[in-house]
Amino acid sequence: MISPATMVKRAAPVLACIGLLAIWQIASLALKHDSFPTALEAIRAIPDILGDKESLINILASLRRMAIGFGIAVLVSIPLGLLMGRSRAVAAFFNPLLMVIYPVPKAALMPIIMLWLGVGDITKTLVIFLGVSLPVIYHSFEGAKAVEEKMLWSSAAMGLSSAQRLVRIVLPAALPEILTGCRTGLVLALITMITSEMIARQSGAGNILFNALDMGQYDTVYAMIIIVGAMGICLDAVFERVRARLVRWSEPQFDIPLSFS
Amino acid sequence: MKVVPSRSSEWVEPVTTQKPASAIIEIDRVSQIFQTSARKDHLALSDISLTIEEGAFVSILGPSGCGKSTLLYIVGGFVSPTSGAAKMKGQAITGPGPDRGPVFQEFALFPWKTVLGNVMYGPRQQGVRATEAETQSRALIEMVGLKGYESFYPKELSGGMKQRVALARTLAYHPEVLLMDEPFGALDAHTRTRLQNDLLNIWERDRKTVLFVTHSVDEAVFLSDKVVMMSKSPGRIREVIDIDLPRPRRRNELLLDPRYQKYVVDIERMFDESDEGGSAS
Repeated sequence: MISPATMVKRAAPVLACIGLLAIWQIASLALKHDSFPTALEAIRAIPDILGDKESLINILASLRRMAIGFGIAVLVSIPLGLLMGRSRAVAAFFNPLLMVIYPVPKAALMPIIMLWLGVGDITKTLVIFLGVSLPVIYHSFEGAKAVEEKMLWSSAAMGLSSAQRLVRIVLPAALPEILTGCRTGLVLALITMITSEMIARQSGAGNILFNALDMGQYDTVYAMIIIVGAMGICLDAVFERVRARLVRWSEPQFDIPLSFS
Repeated sequence: MKVVPSRSSEWVEPVTTQKPASAIIEIDRVSQIFQTSARKDHLALSDISLTIEEGAFVSILGPSGCGKSTLLYIVGGFVSPTSGAAKMKGQAITGPGPDRGPVFQEFALFPWKTVLGNVMYGPRQQGVRATEAETQSRALIEMVGLKGYESFYPKELSGGMKQRVALARTLAYHPEVLLMDEPFGALDAHTRTRLQNDLLNIWERDRKTVLFVTHSVDEAVFLSDKVVMMSKSPGRIREVIDIDLPRPRRRNELLLDPRYQKYVVDIERMFDESDEGGSAS
């Protein structure tokens, strides 16, 4: 038996989506504008896109670039962030560098990168990499800085070298914070994926979207927005499951001390 | 049988030349200066010399800010003294090592490891085989009274239970000296009393050397063979008092013992008389 409270909790996101679509439908019917199709029209266009081989190839190409960009970014950013968090010298070197790059929209760098690397996969993957790196570095840095010193001392007394402490103590201790950064990074990967394809059109989900916009196929434009949104929700849901598994030990619902000294 | 305080330079020969046969830790004219701001230095420890014999339970007692924890960290190798040196079995202490096991007030457990995982961590690091480490660790967990909690995470435990795990985790890699830094300071009075009793029972079995930092006079007298009284600003050794009370000690007997009461009253009076006005209880 599912309790009423759980039912409400599970139904809530579905209800929110239906509500949003309903508002869209009403607004569209009220405005009667050519460039603003109704929600139903947009939804009806989705099977056409997903049924089309060409479109699927485009979307898969996007996802592949995103996965590669995100993967490399995480592999580089976590060690760098952890090193920055535990070494003042490393932090002093990289911090100003990152502060300069952080506020620059990564898509704004695309034209420059395109000059060097062309309009292909490398450029787009590099932009995604840049977009994901900064939040992951930042959160890894903060997580590593916050590791309790006495925990490191305890492990040093057991004979762990400083390199072993970084991998076996700082990394797991900072993992909840690191994964928060990765979650932000995942959303940014999706955003930079689409914007990179907007600037360098060649293939990808963004390519379908902006081509349809040029040709005035507004139902396809809105259908693509729904598809990208749904991709975001799915990726986040999968990530959240993995995250919850990895850091079960730090979850607040565990915070019920037993009455025993 | 000597814990030698050297409060001034009149102790010309350092302890090394006359060290007792059973000395395990020698602290030789250690001073520690912390830079509190760009121009101000704070003298946390001033010219501390102390010898601790093997198998003794020695408490360092003093008001907060007297540098007693810093002294413990220097012995642990976690902090390097500004001048002077600490030695373990005649070897200069240059860093942490498994021969000196710390237990901190903050517990410092590994939150991503279960109780068993925490206790096994040290032996595994020392190269003990997994099955053997597990058997030993389970026995230790039982000894500290946590049988049945092996698969719990630190978050699921109360403060007293966490400190029991921390003690078992340190005992698991068989350090020769236990360095306890106000281990019961974060616990409520009832829990603290229970842990003091249990620590004493465990200690009276194998009599490991213990260096125990506390600001509680009762705790120091109840547990120790020797109490090193410190005064603050700068941190100096004020007095070293032998606690000549029979072992095994039972709390209910000891609290009624006039000798115990006299130690407590005398030490409290000495702290009250000190011009810093540092109350130590």
